[in-house]
Amino acid sequence: MSDAVDRGRRLLLGAALSGVAGRAFAQAGASVRPSAAPSSRRMEPLKHVDAGVLNIAYHEAGPADGPVAILLHGFPYDIHTYGDVAPQLAARGCRVIVPCLRGFGATRVRDPATLRSGEQAAIGADVIALMDALGVSRAVLAGHNWGGRAACVAAALWPERCRGMVTVNSYLIQDLARAMAPISPKYELALWYEYYFQTERGRAGLAANRRKIARILWEQWSPGWVFDDATFERSAMAHDNPDYVDVVIHSYRHRFGLAAGDPQYADLQRRLASLPPISIPSITLDGDKDGVLPASDGRASASKFTGHRIHRVVRGAGHNVPQEAPKAFAAAIMELVRV
Amino acid sequence: MTEKTAASTSRTSSSKRLEPLRQVDAGVLSIAYYEAGPADGPAVMLMHGFPYDIHSYVDVAPKLAARGCRVIVPYLRGYGPTRFRDSATPRSGEQAAVGADMMALMDALGIRRAVFAGYDWGGRAACIGAALWPERCIGLVCVNSYLIQDIANGMVPARAEREVALWYQYYFQIERGRAGLAANRREIAKILWTQWSPNWAFDDACFERTAIAHDNPDYVDVVIHSYRHRYGLAEGDPRYADIERRLAALPPIAVPTVTLDGAGDGVAPATDGSRNASKFTGRRVHRVVPRVGHNLPQEAPEAFSDAVMELIKG
Repeated sequence: MSDAVDRGRRLLLGAALSGVAGRAFAQAGASVRPSAAPSSRRMEPLKHVDAGVLNIAYHEAGPADGPVAILLHGFPYDIHTYGDVAPQLAARGCRVIVPCLRGFGATRVRDPATLRSGEQAAIGADVIALMDALGVSRAVLAGHNWGGRAACVAAALWPERCRGMVTVNSYLIQDLARAMAPISPKYELALWYEYYFQTERGRAGLAANRRKIARILWEQWSPGWVFDDATFERSAMAHDNPDYVDVVIHSYRHRFGLAAGDPQYADLQRRLASLPPISIPSITLDGDKDGVLPASDGRASASKFTGHRIHRVVRGAGHNVPQEAPKAFAAAIMELVRV
Repeated sequence: MTEKTAASTSRTSSSKRLEPLRQVDAGVLSIAYYEAGPADGPAVMLMHGFPYDIHSYVDVAPKLAARGCRVIVPYLRGYGPTRFRDSATPRSGEQAAVGADMMALMDALGIRRAVFAGYDWGGRAACIGAALWPERCIGLVCVNSYLIQDIANGMVPARAEREVALWYQYYFQIERGRAGLAANRREIAKILWTQWSPNWAFDDACFERTAIAHDNPDYVDVVIHSYRHRYGLAEGDPRYADIERRLAALPPIAVPTVTLDGAGDGVAPATDGSRNASKFTGRRVHRVVPRVGHNLPQEAPEAFSDAVMELIKG
């Protein structure tokens, strides 16, 4: 911890890196120029904290007294989506917290009787519970996919806890009331896994073939991203979590109104049903090579952002923007940190 | 066992329609069908699939007629001008119904025996006819080999790549998929044609000639029921319960059979035929047709009609 603080301060001061030796330097160097083998770098060590219904595993980096950025991963990814973003932010003085979402990695449900819900209210509430557990009063919330949704949920319902928000694909709170309205078949086709997961065959298929399904989705969603086996496996092992299948299946059924929610989130879910606006400063990013949610000009969701909001299209990036374009993602967070 | 067959390179004739159509009451349906060839020739039932129509046989039918066959090309339930006679009949798309419809049509037309030939839903109908009513079947030509569904194992996942190709089947499990099919049936069909026959250059007229058959008022109900029933997620029509029971045993096919796979089939990848070999207890030849996709009779009419003629000549 003190080493991380120390490292962050050194970098904040813009010290000459050439004089610094050891592992800390090697990590910091990766934030300046791409590392030769980024896939081998794991985000370690992990910490664990009881937070609400979960014991959350998370990676922390940067100075303890720095402005907090919480980096939220998506499906079917893990915290290593932020393998390059986290050290970049830490080097710029942020206290970076990267939790494993429920059902992923080393995060566990504390009570075996708790429903393995993957509903949006649960994922959003988990973020606030983590902030409470760590004594973090305010943070920049940043995420993509499920993690972007968690950020939107928290920013909309707990704006006082949120300094700013960075999401990929803009406003991600689900409109369950319209979930049965079809969209253009070329986009429905991309949602094949969501429809597959509606059936017990899909549940069995996810349990049996979680890596292959994840790999297909990575490739479909980021057609321009060349990742190697080690990069994939580093994230895929997070899907061996014992709750992964239950949480994922519940998430994709609940969003279509085809699974009941956990009653403890019913009130939050009711508030989300009104598609509440987001008033905090926001930067939304779309990857122009996103294979599941095509890049937009941000206008369709403009009315959902009632505060300062900037929308950008990141050239060359697919769906996993933080991992594919870490500089653009980290820069967006830094803009909000400095506000 | 496996032979190679050259794919026809003939240009798709997209302006030609199979006309005139005839209409006959047959079982629960009033079936629209195209007929060609001498009335006393050996009969051939040419069964189309989803999301296609009788024009899968636009080149096969005249070839067979010219070689002396009596060719019958029916619109399946839910397609084209085929109609349910009673509005109260469930719009089932289950395999037993599609198979029973073919037999009802033969009864209605007084055809005692015929070659059963088809692909996709139509290949399944042909397999069912051959398995359960072998005395009515001269021989079977089927794309993708043995197509009787093993509904008891409908919940067993396939390889992930295969599940991706079945996206429409999973989409159709939920009401969003039903609404999507109703609203966007042409767009969905075009995506499937393209995915399933990646090497087939069909033009807009060729597609539209077939797609109008999907404006049938029962199309959505029959299609949705078909894709739910095969997973055990929709009840069958009780009138077919006995047939479904017999199909659940995955009955073997004893009649002489030619099975064809398109090497470019994007939904049911070509095989060497060995996996289903035990289901064919009679003489069976399996062939892979190079480059051709899922709509084999339309993409390779020569190979398909040759297979039919081999069975007729014995």
